Amino acid sequence: MQCKDVEFVVEQEGLAPLPEAARAHVADCSHCQEFVADLATIVSAANELPAEVEPPARVWVSLRAQLELEGIFKTPVVPASGERWSWWHGFDELFRSRALATAAVGLLIVAAGFLQLRQPPDTSLEPNGIGAGPASQIAFAQTAKVLNDQEIDLRNMQLAGTSSVDTSAVDSSFRQNLQQVDEFIADCERHLKAEPQDDLAREYLSNAYQQKAELLSAMMDREGSLH
Amino acid sequence: MRFDLKCGVLPVLGAAAFLCPGPPATAAAATGQHLEKHFAVNARPVVVIHNVANGRIEVKSWKNAEVDVLASQTSDKIGFEMEQAGDRIDVTANILDASAQPTELAANLQLTVPEETELQLKTETGLIYVEQVMGDMTLESIAGDVHLKEVSGYIIVRTTEGSLVCTQCAGKLDFKSISGGAQVLQPALTNVSLFTTSGNILFDGDFVRTGLYTMKSGKGLVEVRFSGNDSFDLKAQTTMGTVDNRAAAYLKPDSHGVLHRASKFTKGLFGTVGQGLAKVELSSYSGTIRILKRD
Repeated sequence: MQCKDVEFVVEQEGLAPLPEAARAHVADCSHCQEFVADLATIVSAANELPAEVEPPARVWVSLRAQLELEGIFKTPVVPASGERWSWWHGFDELFRSRALATAAVGLLIVAAGFLQLRQPPDTSLEPNGIGAGPASQIAFAQTAKVLNDQEIDLRNMQLAGTSSVDTSAVDSSFRQNLQQVDEFIADCERHLKAEPQDDLAREYLSNAYQQKAELLSAMMDREGSLH
Repeated sequence: MRFDLKCGVLPVLGAAAFLCPGPPATAAAATGQHLEKHFAVNARPVVVIHNVANGRIEVKSWKNAEVDVLASQTSDKIGFEMEQAGDRIDVTANILDASAQPTELAANLQLTVPEETELQLKTETGLIYVEQVMGDMTLESIAGDVHLKEVSGYIIVRTTEGSLVCTQCAGKLDFKSISGGAQVLQPALTNVSLFTTSGNILFDGDFVRTGLYTMKSGKGLVEVRFSGNDSFDLKAQTTMGTVDNRAAAYLKPDSHGVLHRASKFTKGLFGTVGQGLAKVELSSYSGTIRILKRD
């Protein structure tokens, strides 16, 4: 067995227990001993990390909106209902799992950083407007869908609870501002349908999505605390 | 040190340390529900307040190394929880009875803190008022306004519909709101970021040299009033709105040799006042951008 075989075994099966052949190689190879020791240290350190909390949905929506704005995020066309689940549905399910949400957001941030480094400087200045293409529009549509789903969840929460406090100034403020943001989003979307390469309008739409995500999150937090 | 206090038992406890004979100004005071607490601190304390009730949070400073908290409320359906951990003071107003009427949920907090204090204040509907405090602060409100006077530090303000009035502020200011507006008056701010979806923005004051100023409103008015001595590069853009340039006499073509042009989708105005030492970026989606020199 050679060093690369050990790496392959570790990659496939993890550190313990290593197969006999791999152990024999590691015993004689200082390079592999260091490799295994480093991995063991990383795993040990990871196990000592405190349990992470679920990030609010707005983190994902905000990150996604930013990726869309920068033209980094490209999503495939949404398949018709009944088709095999897309990777996006997989993501959606991933985020429903509280335990994996933090890890998934972390991975997205790493991916975003990686893609950002690979991104040519300021592609928005390119005459062909790569960032404003159909992929960007689809990504915006996906964000809108996530937010709409969240809004439906919120309505269900509101229907489930019956409290007099729901008529308070705070709830009234939330509702009015949600309506305002929705109207603004609709306005921006209409404009971008006609002028998909308008960067300023895309920036405002992205900010509006982010504000809506934060608003829905605040409303859900409040519903949760009241009921 | 930690204590929980339900104000329903306050009269029974009757502890002089908790009861305040002080200013009888508010409606809450009329019911006699007062709570006052002093916390001795060292340099630069951090004060965290979360007021879920309706009411005002007022913060002023003094020379003493002490944080004084005076809470007043209209009913016993609100409980105050106060905690000190070193130089961190936490004050939380909780609703004890979810069926309480809005009039029963008024709680005002009046704080006196050392001049150098960091603040994290969160409220729902009441006014946040901070005066003469130096330190980083995060102020969050849903429907309440935020008024700041002579404060300095890194100032973060988040509201849903509450408006910000920042008078003679220094340091850095970051404001975001959906329908709230922002007025920045006589500032000495080196970094300003204002964003609102539908509120209006007014900046009336000097631009500090090397300062960065970004002001954006989706549907509202963005108005900048500068002085004849100011020195800044200006970039103003709107998608559907208008740019109302009332300072054409002061605005020269960019003096730094960079040619700025609005994209074909926007209306824009680019130029330089003075030497262009500060950078001012204004934008709107459908609102008006107005630039004028004040008298």
